[in-house]
Parts: sequence; structure tokens; C-alpha cells
Amino acid sequence: MAAVRTSSEIGINRVAIVAVLVVTVIFLAPIYWIASTAFKPRNLATTIPPTVVFQPEISPFVKLFTKRSQMRSPPSPEEYAAAPWWERVVFDGGEKIVRDGKGEVQWSGYPSRFLNSLIIAITSTVLAVGMGTFTAYGFSRFKVKGEADLLFFILSTRMLPPVVVAIPMFLMYRAVGLNDTHVGLIILYTAFNLSFSVWLMKGFMDEIPKEYEEAALVDGYTRMEAFFKIVLPEAATGIAATAVFCFITAWNEYAFALIMTNRRAQTAPPFIPSQVGSGLPDWTVIAAGTFLFLLPVAIFTFLLRNHLLRGMSFGAIRK
Amino acid sequence: MTQIELRGVQKFFGAVQVIKDLNLKISDNEFIVLLGQSGCGKTTTLRAVAGLETIDEGDILIDGKPVQHLKAADRDIAMVFQSFSLYPHMNVYENIAFPLRATRKSRSEIDQEVRSVAKTLQISDLLAKKPSALSGGDMQRVAIGRALVRRPKAMLMDEPIGALDAKLREEMRAEIKRLHIKQGSTTIYVTHDQIEAMSLADRIVIMHEGVLQQVGTPDEVYSRPANLFVAQFVGSPVMNVADAAVTEKASSASVTVGDAATGFEFPSALLSKLNGHAGGQLALGIRPEGVLIRRDAAEGFLPVETQIVEPLGSFDIVDLRVGSKMLRARTKSGFVSGPGEKVFARIDPSQAHFFDKASGKSLEVRL
Repeated sequence: MAAVRTSSEIGINRVAIVAVLVVTVIFLAPIYWIASTAFKPRNLATTIPPTVVFQPEISPFVKLFTKRSQMRSPPSPEEYAAAPWWERVVFDGGEKIVRDGKGEVQWSGYPSRFLNSLIIAITSTVLAVGMGTFTAYGFSRFKVKGEADLLFFILSTRMLPPVVVAIPMFLMYRAVGLNDTHVGLIILYTAFNLSFSVWLMKGFMDEIPKEYEEAALVDGYTRMEAFFKIVLPEAATGIAATAVFCFITAWNEYAFALIMTNRRAQTAPPFIPSQVGSGLPDWTVIAAGTFLFLLPVAIFTFLLRNHLLRGMSFGAIRK
Repeated sequence: MTQIELRGVQKFFGAVQVIKDLNLKISDNEFIVLLGQSGCGKTTTLRAVAGLETIDEGDILIDGKPVQHLKAADRDIAMVFQSFSLYPHMNVYENIAFPLRATRKSRSEIDQEVRSVAKTLQISDLLAKKPSALSGGDMQRVAIGRALVRRPKAMLMDEPIGALDAKLREEMRAEIKRLHIKQGSTTIYVTHDQIEAMSLADRIVIMHEGVLQQVGTPDEVYSRPANLFVAQFVGSPVMNVADAAVTEKASSASVTVGDAATGFEFPSALLSKLNGHAGGQLALGIRPEGVLIRRDAAEGFLPVETQIVEPLGSFDIVDLRVGSKMLRARTKSGFVSGPGEKVFARIDPSQAHFFDKASGKSLEVRL
């Protein structure tokens, strides 16, 4: 039988839709601002009132990836004509791309910072989720002495703001030579995410009926085989949800990256704002860097969206 | 050829003893049903045989070899779970093939065996489906298929049809029985449903609070219950049990139920068979079909009044007031028109059971 909806229900429904739209606009506005600024000519980036309609440009991205210097006088017509298109857009802004003695283009610091971010975030996510999954399985399936205390202890590592331990961590890292290393940040982010990962995965593991493994044990498999062949595929949703959260945390982390790294292992978050300080800030370049930085999380989340939706509502439905 | 033997098995969960000194011999091809209420230790016993539960004392022998220290995987036993436990991420084919993939069988061998089992269970057209797309009965068939495919030494079933609805349960019960007759493997089946137990079992093992109460064929358990627990647990409607006093009369014995004024007539042989228990604490057990009623007075019938009539279709259950006690009788449907009717009842001595009230044990009186 089709449900009959009263006019008041329809009214409430419309109000809800409007409310959702308003909230969506509020949340998306800054992202639109960054994305549009990333494609604006430099002189339109800071106009008041803001420029909404403009001819999009690629120059901020060219500038983001290259080292540039200010030109005192415009380039000669020959020089301009000989330059490739991406160099001309830089000339148009009154700057030129720095080249080394052999004429090779000098890259800016951004690509390597971006790569650092990827390496550190992905590795720490894999480690945190991997260890978290095993730990959660152990807690979920076996009688562990003092289980409640241990789980509380694991959770308690999240109870103080991480920045509180920044100074001691910095001193310790300096003493053992982990400052400004990939391994250093990977360890740090894994440690931060681990407690979260254990707790979240414990919830998912508890939801998987242990009869599945018992069936596999009776069917002639060892517990390890049962774990990999039965439990892991069943936990895929939980693993995906946990991985997204861990990745976002590691990817966006700013404070420790700022303190612990300065060059070799520096990630994108502390690098992007550091560019504000070098000369007159070119907001379009900063916006381009931020825009690119947003993409991996968006893509990762988009790819796992089906798992995530199920992950969010996991346990809410009776089986 | 698989025999299973449990010798002095004990199992504790913390301070609670869930299996108390269990001894049981199961012979080849036998269909054994462990019957009891929830928490009686039947599932724990089954899981101990499967290797999913350790035991604290005693031996579990399969074909004479102790296996209690072997892992579940090494016992060559298959199990069907109440929840079916079909792996949700695999389709039916992969589910059935899963136990074979643990062995060193070739792809073509596995394929052949999966298809042959599917054919036996008439699920060949379901092989490509995911478990979530199956009905309860089909899920159960797949679960049985997964257990059968490996040709295990023994099959263990933990309330395999408990999750199905009543009609399907009846169908699957018949199917399991048919399958057992056809395939013939030593089977241990756990249930709390006595009808399932009666219809499937070669022998029923009745457990209560971790203690084995009686082992016997369905007929033995029904018509010769070893104690009060078995008497009241097996059979539906439940056996009448009442305090009874036996007195000697001229040429017969009289059995008074509860505080009734007059007693039911029994052959005088009862007194000698009770062997001195007559004056002691005695309980009479009589199934509703052993309480005979008629409309007019007759030799040996006592006048009683009907209290409640429960029409059950093929027969009625009528509550009769005898003193302050109720006796339930089974009659033809419509025999008694309603409550408050005066009828005449007697107890069929050949169907009466006498129990020692203190120990609950049957006094093995057969008249």
C-alpha cells in the first residue's frame, strides 16, 4: 500500500530540502572560492567586490610548479616569440621562469612537497589500518585479559591535543635523527591514527558473526587463512571507512609537519602557507596549490563512497 | 565408517559446569539428536566434537582415536550452523567449493564435486547466486551442500532449521531425513524441538543442565522416559504429572491423584511392582492419550468435570478437574462440548508411569 502523505508532511519535507541546500552552499562556498581563485588572473584575485565572471587562466598552475623571478623590463619580442605557451603566461604577469645554466626549467618546491604528502599519508594510513584491523580482530575474537582497560588505554592516547606533546616529540626526534624524515612523520601519523583505527575496526569486527570463521575452521582452514579469506572481505566496508578517515587526518595534518619537517620530508600543508611570505603574495598560486591539495582526498573518498555509505550506517540495521 | 565416542567429557565456562561427565557412543551411520532446552549443554557438546570448543576433562574419540587436542580443521568433520554461515561475499558455487579448496584437489575435480552435490540437493540453478539472494530453505540446502561436498567423517548440525518458518521447517526436516538415508553418514544433530528429534533421530540424547538424562530410540524415550524431566520434556501435549498415593483394595489397587476423594483403579500387580514405594513419595505420569473418557458411567471410571477445552483440529485437549488437580486428556475433536460438562474418566494402567518424587527417576513399572 502506498503511503499517503499529508500536506504538512510535504511542507516539512520542502523546508528540509531548503535547509539542506543552504547548508550545502555554506559548506561549498570556500571550496568554490579556492577553485575559482586558482584559475583567476592575478589582478582579479583580490578585487572588491569579488570577480565572479572571468576568463579562466592556467597561469597560476604554471607558476605553482616553477621557480620564477620578477622582471625589471618586459621580455624582448624575440624572447617572447621563442618562449613556449606556458612561459608566455608567466611573462604576461611580469615574471620569468628561472632556468639553470643548461637552460633547464627550475621546479618550485611544490611537486616534491605534494609527493611527500602522498608518500607519508598513504604509508601511515596503510600501517594504521593494517595494525588496527589485526588488533581489533584480536580484541573482538579472543578473551584478552583486561580487555576493557587495554581498549581504554588505547583510546586515551587520543585524549590530549597532539600539539601538547609537540616539544618533547621534537626533542626526541632530534635526538634519534628522525627530524625532517619521511619515516618520522609516518611513525607519528600512524601512532595518532592507530587508536582511532582500532576502535573503529573493533566495532566492525564485532558485527561480523564469528560463525563465518568457525565454518571456515571446520571446513579445513587455519585461523589465519580464515582471517584473510573470510574476515577481511567481510570487513572491507569498515576498512574503507577507517582508511578514509585515517588518510584525511594524515593528509591534512599541519602542526607536526610544520615543527618536525622543513625541507626533505616537508608535506604540502606547511609548504603552501609558507609561500605567502615570499614577496608580494600571489593568491592565485596559493589557491592553485590548495586546489590540487584538495583533490586526492576528494578522489579517494569518491572511489570508496559506496563502502563509506554502508560503513556509516553499519550496525544500524538488524540482520 | 565413523564412530564417535565421548568419554567422561567435562566442560566449564568459568565456574559454571556446562557438560557434566558425558559418556556417549555413536555408531557408524547413526543419526543422533541431542535434545534439550537452551543452555543444557547440547550445543557446547556439538562444538566440542567439532573442535570449536576445548574440553576440560575426558576424551573425544573419532574412530577410536582421541581428537580433543586436534584443531577443527584436522578432524575431518563438517558442520551446519543455525545461521547457515554462508560466506556473503562468495556465490553459492564458491561457498560449496570453499571446503574443497582447502584440500589439494584440482580445479576440475572440485567443479565436478560441487556440481554433483548441487544436483543431489537440487540447487544447480542457484550456483551463480549470492547467499543474500536465496530463500531460507535454499540457504539451508547450500549450507548442507557445503558440509556434504567434502564427504566428511561426520556431519554436525546445530539447529539447522531452527531459523526457518514452520512450514519450511517441516519440508526441510523431511529433506534432511531423505538425505541421510541416501548419503548415510554419522550425524549429530542439535535441537530443542522434540518433534524434530522424534522424526529424525535413530537415537535421541536428552540433556538437562549439562547432564545426560536418557539415550534411546524415539519410541523408548517417549514410552519409557527414564525420569520426570524426560517424561515432561518429550511429547506434546505434555505428560500429566501428579503426586499419587497407592492403596490396596480387595482385588485391585487404587491410585489417588493429589487430594482427590477417590482413586483410579489399577491392577493389584502394581503394588508388588512398586516394591515398597507405594507409601513413599510417588509421582504418577500419564500422557493425555492415556486418560480415557466416556460420557456414561462404567466400571472403573470416575466422575469428573471438564474445565477447559482446546480444539487442536485433529483432536481436542480437555482439562479435567480431579480434586484440586487438573488432568489433561486427549479426545476426539468435538467429543466434549465445552467447560463444565460431567464426564467419566479413568487412567489406562498400561500407559501409566510411576516416578520416585525425590530422585525423579522412573520406577520402571510396566502394567
